[in-house]
Amino acid sequence: MILQINYKSGKPVYLQVVDQIKAAAASGALQPGEALPFIRPLAEELRVNRNTIAKAYSELENLGVIETVPGKGCFLKENHSPLRKDVRRKMLIEEIDQAIVQAHHLLISRDEFLNLVHQRMDALETKRRANGGAGEE
Amino acid sequence: MNAQLPAIEIENLHYSYGHAEAVHNLNLRVKPGRCYGLFGRNGAGKTTTMKCLLNLLRPQRGQVRVFGLDPTKHEVAVKRRLAYVPDQVAFYPWMTIRETLDYLASFREHWNPTIEQELLDRFRLDSAKQTSALSKGQRTQVALIAAVCPEPELLVLDEPTSGLDPIVRRKFIETVIGAYQESSPGNRTIFVSTHLITEFEGLIDEFTIMDAGQAVLSLSADEARDRYRKIRARFAESIPELDLSAALHVRRVGRELELVANGGGPALIEALKSHQPESLTTESLTLEEIFVATLKA
Repeated sequence: MILQINYKSGKPVYLQVVDQIKAAAASGALQPGEALPFIRPLAEELRVNRNTIAKAYSELENLGVIETVPGKGCFLKENHSPLRKDVRRKMLIEEIDQAIVQAHHLLISRDEFLNLVHQRMDALETKRRANGGAGEE
Repeated sequence: MNAQLPAIEIENLHYSYGHAEAVHNLNLRVKPGRCYGLFGRNGAGKTTTMKCLLNLLRPQRGQVRVFGLDPTKHEVAVKRRLAYVPDQVAFYPWMTIRETLDYLASFREHWNPTIEQELLDRFRLDSAKQTSALSKGQRTQVALIAAVCPEPELLVLDEPTSGLDPIVRRKFIETVIGAYQESSPGNRTIFVSTHLITEFEGLIDEFTIMDAGQAVLSLSADEARDRYRKIRARFAESIPELDLSAALHVRRVGRELELVANGGGPALIEALKSHQPESLTTESLTLEEIFVATLKA
């Protein structure tokens, strides 16, 4: 898993790490039980503050994406969100609403938008299969 | 020990060399465990500020506190807990690297020999070599080893990478991230002055931009990149009449418009969208671009 920091994105650096690891988990580039890089070498490689990586990992732990095994490191968990279903739906709805507002301004119609959603989900599915994942259940 | 106490606190600091005012009413505060950048052009007052922290200069007005202590009154107590890498490193030329490190270690209560060996290996330094035979980059590396091995709570770096080649600069920063922050990272504070901002981009939590002795901008790095945005729009016909007074800089080239916004980005984007541009893109400024934009304004 190769991470890349883009300082022009305007997104806080720790959040870029969180989002990229979440994306790697979703695409199967990172498999459940697989170890994440240790904080020090990752910080050195990305040339970011250690505390930034530590903050990203503790955020991922709070989200239930990874778990820390004392003395061994951090590992990707099976995909079980600790959050209740309605909370998870609400979080996703916020993101979808934003995308819908964007679509309006970019003059993307409802059908085009829904098509794109299908396309993107298929693309992720293809990636998962290529990475040896079982695909969506 | 009070964990809430700032590692560095500077209040209304003034310092003049004769009639030349080097630092004018400077205020800043560095929380423990953070990496704080002091950015400025040559002669902005960065080195003078750092020298006041180390009691190499005495503040003429205002006050400076390191770990809550006044460096002019508690010099030893302050210096015991920090290490300093100046921009010009000088050693006794007749000593070898080994002798130099032993000599510097003799002033310290604590010295980590494992880190010392790790860094000598990493920098491929021959400890039998005399310091007079070292390049500028190697001298800086020896100074960094001497600063990191006592595992101080505060690392003060004054233009540490200027005049070094890119490989040495990279290794320097990796060492600060890796070896220095290795143990107890929450308790390792870095105060670095530089004009080579890009290299330190990922390390910096907060920063102050100094110009002519004064602080012109103090922000957290993430907040700064969120607030400072470059917006580009291209219109089909010509650039419409718009109120762009909220923008820091405006550039018009033909049908294209480029704005630099400080905080007013979203409102400007909305205003541009209402005129239906052919294309509209936005990106954050890097810390170096923010530095340039701030000093141009």
